[in-house]
Amino acid sequence: MGAFHHSQPSLECLQPASPASPSPPPSWKFGVSCLWSMLGRGVKRKWSSLEVPEAEQLPNTTAMEDKRPGAALEESEEDRGDRRSRTNAGHVEQRQLVLSLCLEKLQQYQAGVELSLRRSVLLINTLRQIQEEMRSDGTDVRLGGVSPDAHLLRDDFRDDESVTCPGCTEGDTENLSPPPSPEPTDTVPTDLQKPPPNAIGHTFSDAGSAMGYLSDLALDDIFEDIDTSMYETSELPSAWAAGSLWPVSVSFWPDDDVKLCSSVGSLQSCLLDLNELDHIMEILVKS
Amino acid sequence: MGLALLVGISATFREPDHLTRITQKNRPGGDMQWCFSQVKGAIDDDVAEADIISTVEFNHTGELLATGDKGGRVVIFQQEVEIKSRFVSQNKNLPQFRSEYNVYSTFQSHEPEFDYLKSLEIEEKINKIRWLPQKNAAQFLLSTNDKTIKLWKISERDKRPEGYNLKEEDGRYRDPNTITSLRCLKVAFLLQVPVLIPMDLMVEASPRRVFSNAHTYHINSVSVNSDNETYLSADDLRINLWNLEITDRSFSVPIGDQNRNSCDIFSCCITPCCWRSLTARSSDIVDIKPANMEELTEVITAAEFHPHQCNTFVYSSSKGTIRLCDMRVSALCDKHSKLFEEPENPSNRSFFSEIISSISDVKFSHNGRYIMTRDYLSVKIWDLNMENRPVETYQVHEYLRSKLCSLYENDCIFDKFECCWNGNDSVVMTGSYNNFFRIFERGQRRDATLEASRENSKPLQVLKPRKVCTGGKRKKDEISVDSLDFNKKILHTAWHPQDNIIAVATTNNLYIFQDKVN
Repeated sequence: MGAFHHSQPSLECLQPASPASPSPPPSWKFGVSCLWSMLGRGVKRKWSSLEVPEAEQLPNTTAMEDKRPGAALEESEEDRGDRRSRTNAGHVEQRQLVLSLCLEKLQQYQAGVELSLRRSVLLINTLRQIQEEMRSDGTDVRLGGVSPDAHLLRDDFRDDESVTCPGCTEGDTENLSPPPSPEPTDTVPTDLQKPPPNAIGHTFSDAGSAMGYLSDLALDDIFEDIDTSMYETSELPSAWAAGSLWPVSVSFWPDDDVKLCSSVGSLQSCLLDLNELDHIMEILVKS
Repeated sequence: MGLALLVGISATFREPDHLTRITQKNRPGGDMQWCFSQVKGAIDDDVAEADIISTVEFNHTGELLATGDKGGRVVIFQQEVEIKSRFVSQNKNLPQFRSEYNVYSTFQSHEPEFDYLKSLEIEEKINKIRWLPQKNAAQFLLSTNDKTIKLWKISERDKRPEGYNLKEEDGRYRDPNTITSLRCLKVAFLLQVPVLIPMDLMVEASPRRVFSNAHTYHINSVSVNSDNETYLSADDLRINLWNLEITDRSFSVPIGDQNRNSCDIFSCCITPCCWRSLTARSSDIVDIKPANMEELTEVITAAEFHPHQCNTFVYSSSKGTIRLCDMRVSALCDKHSKLFEEPENPSNRSFFSEIISSISDVKFSHNGRYIMTRDYLSVKIWDLNMENRPVETYQVHEYLRSKLCSLYENDCIFDKFECCWNGNDSVVMTGSYNNFFRIFERGQRRDATLEASRENSKPLQVLKPRKVCTGGKRKKDEISVDSLDFNKKILHTAWHPQDNIIAVATTNNLYIFQDKVN
């Protein structure tokens, strides 16, 4: 499922020529493959709303004026009317999409194939740019003062001075994993990002040797005030409690207030909702 | 009277030098009408990954055309000129020249390797091929994958020796003691000198040098120096200078040398013919690796030597800058002599600004006065004497600017397109999507969009210009942006050094087009 659905196939999310991305994790405790899909894989949104910020920046562009019926790019009358009022929201939405794509791409790897340094550097620079913008907007409390990207290049596996064996870098890769962490009320809990422990552990140990310079991210300071005990399982290595990319990828869900709630109470209600959803899913699946 | 006498005489021979001057060398871009000439490669749509063409390069005379593919193979085509004379009613002799490129040699240049230390595969895909200027009967080219560069010698053999009498009738070698010379006349027979007799032409490719273990990162460029003695190879963070010739003596590399990184010790140049590995130092002439990799924000994307000045080279970066370096200034060209950079247009700023500014190819003009760069959406031409902005900018596919988000999602935004000059630097060419390629005539300020497809592949069929509809009512024969096939990309193109003959590589086919007047 691609994030964009169009009637014409050409601009749909094509199979990238570069390393395949890991498939969406199978359903886990909260049984929510559909929620996973909301995270930037399956959400249906109008093409136009995402391209709006670009169009706003380029007054000359004519791409948005496509009036052919049936065209995937066509804006409805109301959309066009609303476009200007949604500019900021559209920009924020696009920013969040780009951010999540960025992180997703940074975590892509193909076992046994060396990553392209150029691609990774470009992705990290894009990530930095977005973070800067969010910081200056004051929108994201979480990322304030954190630069996860700073560590992404640290452990360059191709450092020619050191001769390290894959085993030696395994230690670092343990930290590359989604920790459980709470989410604002209408965002998806990070825990949903957690694939079954075995899969992710295996995945990342492979990834560690292949990715080389991606390493642990010190985001634990963000989450230190959050009680994660209620959905930590014993199967997870304790190292996973350390910060990682995962919470970053899920936290920026469109929210009008863009206020990220970190209270446990709201988390609990969130989890209850998900339990219900899981229940509904089971019913649907069985029927 | 005058029965029209139609006589078709066709002769196929290797094109002698003087014939190449007949074509449009003196016409500046002119009124080019491109015709289909040939297509090489499999017809079926099912593309075998190994057949994906990864580089295309004419040699210095244009007689040879080399392609490299993802499977590590090199295929060389040779031009043969067909002359057709027709005597029409007025007995007017209208010679028509038509060049055809036919397979000359095929060889496996690189094999997949496995780096056991890092548990990583090293792809055999040929990233670049560069021809050396011809010095003798044999041809030489450099081919490289991500890590190793090889110097190949391509030689012809059309005679073979016969008449050895080193063996007895039963096949055993004669006892050397029984072989004698005329002077001795000891025993029965004399050693016979073999004679060379003609045979069918055989083209052999043999590796003469292997340059390995010098690059930690992926090699993106090789460029032969105008001195014909050295060449450079560039990866993401470093540029190395190599000597094409090696001496018979090996020399040691000081281990404690602060200025050279330790991998130099292992960079070696192997000569398979004598199976001796010589530790030849490949010097780093550019090294942009930061002490702390976390500070890395820019990588080298392409590099090339100046066509005439053997001390000058340029390299481009992922941030859209080009640096010109002079090797006379210092051994390690950390400080550039010139920095070419265009200030960003603030109205075009987006999340993807940096990615699309990344330069994917840099090429000097043949006269050495200009540099051409290709970024994601445009081709820019820079005057060596003006660093603050390009002198010309050509939009390749501006209609994609509003689609950058989805091109980012499907990774197309990372595609690396190449570009090339024509022989007299008046026209430039680059590829696009949907098997379109773009030709820009500089002086005439004219541009054309053409398509390489099987549908337009009738012999001598003139290519019709294509047009992409960006909005509004789509006219007949126009194609809308949404209908473009982003899987069909033309990344590699090459222009004959003298004539208007172009080679355009689609995913797994090589198209050759000629100017109609040719």
